Order: sequence, then C-alpha cells, then structure tokens
Amino acid sequence: MLDGLGMLLGGITHFLTPLSLFNIVWATLLGIVIGALPGLTATMGVALLVTLTYKMAPDQAILCLMCIYSGAIYGGSRTAILLAIPGTPASAATTLDGHPLALQGKAGLAMGLATTSSALGTIVGIVALALIAPLLAEAALKFGSYEFFWLALFGVVISGKLTAIDDPLKGYIAGILGLMVAMVGMETLHAHQRFTFGITALGGGVDLIPAMVGAFGLAEILGVMKRSAQARIVSSSDRVVPRLGEVLKYWKTTLRSGLIGTFVGIVPGVGEDVGAWASYAAAKRSSKEAHLFGKGSQEGLIAAETGNSAVVPGAMIPTLTLALPGSAAAAVLIAAMFIHGIRPGPLLMTESPDVLYQIVAILLFSTLAILVFGLTLTRPLLKVLAVPRERLMAVVYVLCVVGSFAITQRMFDVYVMVGFGVVGFILREMRYPMAPLVLGIILGDLLDLNLRRGLLLTNGDPSPFFTRPISAVICLIIVLTILMSIPAVSKRVRAFFTRAGGASSA
Amino acid sequence: MTSSENAGAEPDEGPSPAMTRADLLMAIVFIILSAAVLYGSWTMDRLEVRRIHPMTVPGLVPGMLGAALLVCGIVLAIRSLRLPAPNGWADLAAAITSGAAGRAAAVLALALVYTLVLVGRVPFWLATGLFVFAFILLFEVWLATPRRALRQSLPWAIGLAIATAGIVTFVFERAFLVRLP
Repeated sequence: MLDGLGMLLGGITHFLTPLSLFNIVWATLLGIVIGALPGLTATMGVALLVTLTYKMAPDQAILCLMCIYSGAIYGGSRTAILLAIPGTPASAATTLDGHPLALQGKAGLAMGLATTSSALGTIVGIVALALIAPLLAEAALKFGSYEFFWLALFGVVISGKLTAIDDPLKGYIAGILGLMVAMVGMETLHAHQRFTFGITALGGGVDLIPAMVGAFGLAEILGVMKRSAQARIVSSSDRVVPRLGEVLKYWKTTLRSGLIGTFVGIVPGVGEDVGAWASYAAAKRSSKEAHLFGKGSQEGLIAAETGNSAVVPGAMIPTLTLALPGSAAAAVLIAAMFIHGIRPGPLLMTESPDVLYQIVAILLFSTLAILVFGLTLTRPLLKVLAVPRERLMAVVYVLCVVGSFAITQRMFDVYVMVGFGVVGFILREMRYPMAPLVLGIILGDLLDLNLRRGLLLTNGDPSPFFTRPISAVICLIIVLTILMSIPAVSKRVRAFFTRAGGASSA
Repeated sequence: MTSSENAGAEPDEGPSPAMTRADLLMAIVFIILSAAVLYGSWTMDRLEVRRIHPMTVPGLVPGMLGAALLVCGIVLAIRSLRLPAPNGWADLAAAITSGAAGRAAAVLALALVYTLVLVGRVPFWLATGLFVFAFILLFEVWLATPRRALRQSLPWAIGLAIATAGIVTFVFERAFLVRLP
C-alpha cells in the first residue's frame, strides 16, 4: 500500500515538468474541443492523434492520448446541454436533463454541474484504478492460455451483449466479424499466412489504427453529413461555477454513479455510453425526485456525467492488467502503447510498475485541467459549437487520410481506412455496434493463439478449458450471457424469478 | 436489466419494417461470407509436412468463427422472415433513395475520388485543396437546406482549402517528417 503511494507520488512528480504540463494543457483542451464537436468522438480523436504523437517519448505520447480521451468524454456534455445533440455517444444520457435545464435558463448551472460531476466521477474511477489494478495484475499472473482464451471470448461476447441491448444478435455478429478480420495475415503459432490471397500487404494483418480511423472517422463523417437539419444553440447567461452545496447535495448519486461507471469501464469493450445510461437508470430508480428525470433534473445530469467519466479510469484497469480494452478508445490506446514499446498485460506490473501510476497521475492532471477549462472557457467553447460541419468534416477527412497513412507510410492502410469506413457506416446504419467489432480485431490474435497453444500443451485434449476453476467460471458466464440473449430463454427465466419472489428487477 | 427501457430518445418498439427487410439482406450476406470462410478454413494448409498437432491447425479458429457467423446469419434470416414487415421492401427502397442517403453517397463519392484517384497522381497539397474546396461548396451551396449563396461560400471554400492543404502538408512533412503520398 505504502509502496503504491510512493509510486503514485513518483508518477505525479514525473509529470511536473514544463513540457508535460504544456502537453496536458493542449491535449486536454483539444480533447474537450473534439468531444464538443458533434461528429468527432473520443475514439476518433485518440485514433487520429496516435499519428501526431508517435515521434514523442512514450510517456509523453500516452500522456497526450489519455488527456485527449478524458477531455473528449467530458467535452461531449457541452454539446449535449446547449444543442441537445450528444457531442460523443457518451453524453447521450446527458442530453435528457442537461438540455431541459438549459431551456429553463440554467445552462450555466448545467455546464458547471457537468464539469464537477465529470471530475468527481474520474476521481472515483482513479481510486479504483490505483487499488484494483495491482491486485488484478497479480491474480492475472496465474492465468494460463486456457484463461486467456476464455477472457478474450468473454470480452467479445459481453461487449456484443451490452452495446446492443435491444438486439444482442447484432452485437455478436459485429464481434465475430471483428474476430474474422483478426484472422487475416500471419498467425503466430506456426507462422502460416491466412486469407492473404497473395497480397503481401495483408501478410502483417489489418492494422488497428487505420481500421479504427475508418470505422470511427469516415463512418462518422458519413453519418453526420447524412442529416440535413442543424440544431440551435441555447445561450447561457447564468453563473457557471456551481455552489458547493449544489455539488454535494446529491453525493450519494455521485458516489453510486462513479462506482457503476467504474464497473462498466472494467467490463471489456463496454464504454462510456453504457456507463452513463446505467448510472442514469440506477439514479432514477433510487431517486426521491424520479418524476423530474428527463425534465431538467440536476440529479439525472450528475448521474449521467459522473457515470461516463468514471468509465475512463475504469476502462484502464483491464486495459493495463490484461490487455483487454475496457472501451473502444482504450483499444486504440493499447495499439498506441505497443507502438511505443509499452506492453500492457499481466507482466506490466512486474516489468514496469511505474506505468500504472503514471497513468493514474495523468488522469489526475487531466481532471484538474478539465475542471479549470470547463468552469472558465464558457464563451470560447460556444464558438467551437458554432463551427459549421460542412467545413469541419472536409478537414477531418483529410486528417483521416493522413492519419492512417502516416504510421507505416503505405497507401494500403488508407484503403483499409476507406474500406472500414464504408462497411462501418453500413453496419452502423443497421444498428450493429462498433465496439465489439473493434474488440474482435484486437482480441482475435489472443483468442486464436491461446486456444491452439492450450490444445498443443495438452496434446489436443480440451478438458482443461472446462475444468480449471477460473476457466470454468468464465466459460459459465459466457454460456449464460448467450443463453440470456435468446428471447425465449430470458422470458422464461424472468417469469420464473418473478413468480419466485419478484427478485428479477435486480 | 432495466436499462433498455431507458434507452431514452429511442423507445424500444422492435425493428421497423424496413430494418426487418434490410436484416434479411444482411443475413444473406453473412451466410455467404460464413460459407466462404468455412470453405477457406477447411481447405487451408494443415501443415502435415511439419507434423503439427491436428488440433492446432491454422484453420481451426477461422472455421469456428465461420460456423458461428453461419448460425447467427441463419437466426437473423429466420427472425427477419418471421417478423411481419408491412411495406418493408418499399420502405427500404425509399430509405436507400432518400435525400439523406444521397448526401452520404455524395460524401463517399468525393472521398473516393480524393483518396483513390487524386492522391498519388497529383501532389498531395493540390489533391487536398481540391477536395476541401469541392466538399464545402457542394454541401453549402447545393446540398444544404437552406442553401447559401455562392459568393458567400466561395471565400470560405477557397480559404479553407488553401489553409488545410498548406498546414497539413507543412506540419506532416516538416514537423513530423512524414513522406506524404
């Protein structure tokens, strides 16, 4: 424990240099702007910025990317409140109460509360990250091929189920498609080329960054430009800095939403949007003012903003200790870490334990920056919201092209970006979630390698996959998750529990 | 699980008729894709020469994924056939030929011309400038509601085209030392 505190202090002092502070300031601000601009999401921002940071020192690059990530998740709230359009999917729940508050002439209060809630949510997540990650990393050292195979599958399945609540089948399909993409190229056990069709560029497989830039960049541009209506900005004239009483009045909701958000973050591939919705739903269930939700409830706004921000540090827990991305943006971070020679996974805590505490420190600094910028830069951020998308999206597409080209400097990656953009757009239009697809691409290799390595170790006997205790538990969860997404099964199970004592609502 | 009721802006009413029909089309695509993957995995080299264990052949996981996608595709197809979708095909056709789809197609056409035709053939800065210029003019003057006057948009289109082409080329070639396409 004391050891951890010492390393945390080390992490904080590590970044107390002029260069780092400068990077924190511009990256967080850029993140907020990216988040506030509709059509630019956190994942897209991080994916595009990998290019800009790849010549930096590893710690500074990760610093910039993390600041952009958490800044963007916060920045989306601005658009949600003033325009009733979520700036990123993460702030969809924020629009429900944030915009009505703005219409009541309390836009300043709404922006202020969104800022403080985001900061508090991140703090709850940060505490969890500092406490849980070392323990999980230690436990993960005992994991073998069998467990990692199931974990990879668990990530894709749970992400498919939770990011497509209305229709898990589409979530699973997206996950399988992602895993299939990962099968292209050289496999790692026997070094055999799969599905390359004689194209040399496919030998190394499909790179995650161009794929992400396509699925989150081009697809998003197509989606944004498709709509023809423009939203109107609600002006604000009231005070932005909230009173302490206003912030602390719903402290139970803040704490609960922070914990829910952190938990959602830990679940692989389930991101900020689900964190916000889950916290919002929980707050509404236990609120004394449930009737106000959706009509400008401060509690609802606090729940949504605390919930989505807590996901960011929460998502870093599996990302750092298991190399299982906790959200779509975290998947890009994993790819960026590999580019910079940082290998997330169970060995991270033994090989370079300082990385974890540096990330904790980065999140602390970015939270501080968000607080300062969020409460002071009200007018300049209003200007950002007024940028016409016709002008913005043209420039963004140019950045998508350069961003996917720059890392390996081959046109092939640009074609990958375009391909993923088109397919991603069609899939999104048909309500297939993107997160499981991305998770599939990044976990495909882990799943494939560990399944066959496990089988090789046992000479073809699959029984350890089911008899080792941790494996058995994860396998059981996967089976139950899939079974529960079959309507006929879940209906019967629910009916059974309702009859047995009405406990199904838990 | 009560969060589905809170999906907020989009109340859960099941898929629309057009979506039900679109699902059927996608299901067919998935079934064909999975059949191709299954075939590819079955005929993939089993590396018998290197005497690897038969349970570790490279085609194992792709084959499993193909099978899983096949099952999902069939379920999706059956579900879509069983759901009533009055006017589904007509709605789907209307959605594909709508103004919104036209706007998306216009973006895509511009993007493809820029990426596949211009980049690599003309200098990067010129390709970028042309793309930004055409994009802004097209969407502000012709495809916007309300439309903007040409002389209002033109300065912006030219200015942003020059700025983007100049800044992107300069930043990447000079500051990041990237050889642009």
